Amino acid sequence: MSILSYNGGAVVAMKGKNCVAIASDKKFGIQLQLISKEFPKIFEMGPHLYVGLPGLATDTQTVHARLKFRQNLFELKEGTRMSPKVFSSMVSNMLYEKRFGPYFVEPIVVGLEPDTYEPFICNMDLIGNVCFPEDFVVGGTCEDQLFGTCETMWEPDLSPDDLFETISQALMSAFNRDAGSGWGAVVYIIEKDKVTTRHLKTRMD
Amino acid sequence: MATERYSFSLTTFSPSGKLVQIEYALAAVAAGAPSVGLKAVNGVVIATENKQKTILYEEHMIHKIEPITEHIGMVYSGMGPDYRLLVKRARKMAQQYYLVYQQEIPTAQLVQKVAMLMQEYTQSGGVRPFGVSLLICGWDKGKPYLFQCDPSGAYFAWKATAMGKNHINGKTFLEKRYSNDLELDDAVHTAILTLKEGFEGQMTEDTIEVGICDASGFRRLDPATVKDHLANIP
Amino acid sequence: MALVLKNSSAALNQHSFSPYADNGGSIVAVAGDDYVVIASDSRLSTGYSIYTRDQSKLFKLSNDSVLGCCGCWCDVLSLTKLLEARMQMYLHEHQKVMSTPAISQMLSTMLYYKRLFPYYILNILAGFDNDGKGVVYSYDPIGNLEKSKFKAGGSSGALLQPVLDNQLGLSNIKEKPEAITLEKALNVVKDAFISATERDIYTGDSIIINIITREGIREEKLELRKD
Repeated sequence: MSILSYNGGAVVAMKGKNCVAIASDKKFGIQLQLISKEFPKIFEMGPHLYVGLPGLATDTQTVHARLKFRQNLFELKEGTRMSPKVFSSMVSNMLYEKRFGPYFVEPIVVGLEPDTYEPFICNMDLIGNVCFPEDFVVGGTCEDQLFGTCETMWEPDLSPDDLFETISQALMSAFNRDAGSGWGAVVYIIEKDKVTTRHLKTRMD
Repeated sequence: MATERYSFSLTTFSPSGKLVQIEYALAAVAAGAPSVGLKAVNGVVIATENKQKTILYEEHMIHKIEPITEHIGMVYSGMGPDYRLLVKRARKMAQQYYLVYQQEIPTAQLVQKVAMLMQEYTQSGGVRPFGVSLLICGWDKGKPYLFQCDPSGAYFAWKATAMGKNHINGKTFLEKRYSNDLELDDAVHTAILTLKEGFEGQMTEDTIEVGICDASGFRRLDPATVKDHLANIP
Repeated sequence: MALVLKNSSAALNQHSFSPYADNGGSIVAVAGDDYVVIASDSRLSTGYSIYTRDQSKLFKLSNDSVLGCCGCWCDVLSLTKLLEARMQMYLHEHQKVMSTPAISQMLSTMLYYKRLFPYYILNILAGFDNDGKGVVYSYDPIGNLEKSKFKAGGSSGALLQPVLDNQLGLSNIKEKPEAITLEKALNVVKDAFISATERDIYTGDSIIINIITREGIREEKLELRKD
């Protein structure tokens, strides 16, 4: 069994029209044993910037802490907020520093670009190979299931409400077919002037 | 370093609280060839004297104005060899920034990094301070930037300034001629005029260098363009 | 201890015997009250190579039973040939065609018979149960049998199944409408395959759909991406 699926967990992000969404499950387990049903995998890194870190739970927390460390130093030094594009470059660079002893996380960065409010999504593998798709990104133990659901349900230019419905259905249907993830879900819808956080009631088995 | 047990910094405070090594470095700068820089509304210009002692010298082969990135350029007053090292390090720092953030380094960030390096050479063992002051010009996010970096590691943001030989006169001249709504072409003109103050001998396209930076990036003006500018000067 | 070490180093020198191949492919089946739909893609591949773009993985067993098989293609051929023979023997012995539930049970037994050297196949059997309603039986390679209303399996199983859960099982939707119509089932099957083809290299080229009703078996074909 891969160390990436030792704790389980799933994250998915989608682009909409003038909005982006990121969602994850809430499970923290150790192989077949459930430890917690309130384990965050998505972190707010700025007003229009979120990062999801599915993978090994200890690395989820460590990578989040180290990213925040680097981001704080950058923002103090430069006196500006980090844009999603710059942030994801920094994440990628930090992961590649550990090329031969990597953090076992596959980050997903979402946000709105400053000034233009252009939707931004990207994901990378555990050593920082970045990808900027036009539609959606998935990560975690039910990656295959998410590919199936997102590929059928996603369509271009979804409104914030439709995007919420789509990402929720895609995530829930996917992790209900995966023993490694589930136990509640959280969805963030990021728009120009507001971010909506919703907690989903899901099957708890 | 533990292995170099007698590696002390030579830059030590004098009883009066001065670092004389730095003052000597500044003296080296003040004795060096003059250079000027000034900002316009749509760009920034840097210029320097590049006079040769003999006619045997091949012009336009070795430059005093150097690009650091697409949108940042640099010139100096003081010691040439020290400058080359700083150019090399500045370029490397700019590329390191780009590698991490996939974004061009802001001019202010590069200046800060170069200044950190220069400060390090005032406090480390086995080295001496740099014998140069730098003028670093850049263009980010639709605005021109001009900074001066001294051997001590101190740095300043200018609208216009002069360094090197005759810098006092140069600054006085700029104070009289500078205005906030200068166009880039006028700024080049003013820069050349400032260099002309106290210029000994004939000023030609072979004895000065000019670099400009605007929305399209930083570039050194070729001798023909410099000649055109000189033609407009009485 | 020394003996163990000696044995293990001897084992390292042996060339391991690997009698199985994975030839990819996916199967989807959906059952309604008066119909069953079963579909497979038509790509037969090994690794990054494609053997053929036109190989149906559906096997008509009787006028109301169709079996979909994918996995190790040589095992598929052996198993289906044996299955046909066993059905023929049943016909001769009992003077009637095997019902879908009877086939389902026999298939399970046949798979378990090879418990220690299994057929490396994912089987999905579609037909009608004893009450005349559509039914889908799915198997693991060693004969574990599950009866359900819809099932996806094969190389894209993980991608297809949650889509079926959502669209046919209506797992996360409050208001449950009446039974799934044949038209809806066909649309879901086609959409699910089109999506799976985007992300799975072992599934593609075209899908062959068998629509089983009381009137008989009708075949449909839909082209998929070929890359």
